[in-house]
Amino acid sequence: MDNLIYLYGIIPESEAADHSLDKMKDFEETGFLQMLPVDDVIAITCLLDASKYTEESIQDKIDNDMEWLQEKAFHHHETVMNLSKLFTVIPLKFCTLYKNEDSLRTSILENEEKMLRTLESIAGKEEWNLKVYCDDQLLKEQFSENNPAAEAKRAEISELSKGRQFFEKKKLDKWMETEIEAEKDTVSEAIHRELCDLSTCGHVKKTWSKDVTGKKDPMTWNSVYLMEVEKVEQFLERIQQYQKDMKAAGWQFEASGPWPAYHFSSLS
Amino acid sequence: MSLRESVENKDIALIDILDVILDKGVAIKADLVISIAGVDLVYLDLRVLISSVESLVQAQQQDARKHVSSEQFDKQKEALEDATASPHQ
Repeated sequence: MDNLIYLYGIIPESEAADHSLDKMKDFEETGFLQMLPVDDVIAITCLLDASKYTEESIQDKIDNDMEWLQEKAFHHHETVMNLSKLFTVIPLKFCTLYKNEDSLRTSILENEEKMLRTLESIAGKEEWNLKVYCDDQLLKEQFSENNPAAEAKRAEISELSKGRQFFEKKKLDKWMETEIEAEKDTVSEAIHRELCDLSTCGHVKKTWSKDVTGKKDPMTWNSVYLMEVEKVEQFLERIQQYQKDMKAAGWQFEASGPWPAYHFSSLS
Repeated sequence: MSLRESVENKDIALIDILDVILDKGVAIKADLVISIAGVDLVYLDLRVLISSVESLVQAQQQDARKHVSSEQFDKQKEALEDATASPHQ
C-alpha cells in the first residue's frame, strides 16, 4: 500500500526530547502522529493511504463536502494547537502532502535555514488576535450630538423647505458616516500602535463582513500580535481597559489566543 | 482566574480556524497541490450547511411538539367527555 505523508508542522530538533507526541491522533483518527527527523528540525507527520487521498479526491472534498472540511479543519487546527503547547512549532498549511519521505526531506532541507531562523524568532512567544466591533448607530448618535459642525448643519437644514430638507439630511448623513469611519480608523490605529509596543511584532488583517461574522455590529479592526508569554497578561489587561473605557461609546474588543504563530512563521 | 485563562477557554469561531489553516499556514513546496477558494466563501458555504442542519433539527422538534400537543388534546377531550357524560345508572 502506498502512503502519502501529511505534514502538520516543523519543530526544532533540540526540543524533540522534551515531550512525546503522547498518542496524538492522525488525520483518520485511527493511528498516531510521528516525528520525522530531518537534519536540525523534526517534521510532525502522519501517513495517509494514497489510494484514498489524491489531489483530485481532496480537492473534491474541499469543494463539495463541507462536513468533511469542517471536521478535518478542526483536526488540523487542534493538532497544531496541541503541538504548540509542547514545542515551538511552524504551523503548515492544511493538507501539505508528500508522496514519499525523500520528497518531504528535500522540501524541508531547501527551507531549513529559514525554518531555523523562524523557529528562533517565535520561540517562547504566542500569537494573539484582536477584533474590534463598533455599534455604528450609537457612534452616529453620539457624533451627531457632540459634533458642533453636525449641529450647525442640522439647524441650517431645519430652515429649509421639506423637499430640500430630505436631500440635505441625506447629504449630512453621508458626511457623518465618512467622518465616523475616519474616526474609527484613527482610534483603531492608535490602539494598534500601543499594542505593537507591548508585542514583538504586529500585523493588521482584513476585516470580515457581517455575513461572515454573523455579528450585529460590523468589524472595525482585525489584527494579530506575536507576544512574549510573560507579556500576555499585560496585553489582555490593556484590551480589557479599552473595553471598559469605550464600551459605552459603542466599541467592543475581542481578544483570542494563544494561537500557533500562523502569521509570524512565513518563510518567504 | 487570570485574564489569560478566561480568554483561553473561549470558543473560537470556525472562520478563525479556516482563515489560519487555509490561508495563513506556512506554505512550502509539496507534492500535492490543493487550491482553496477565498476563506470567506468557504465559510459562507459552511454556514449554509450548519444553518440547514439547524433548521432541520428545529423542524423535527416542532413536529414532536405538535405530536405531544395533539396527544394532550386527546386526553383533555377524553377528560371533558368523562366529566360531561351522564352518570351510568
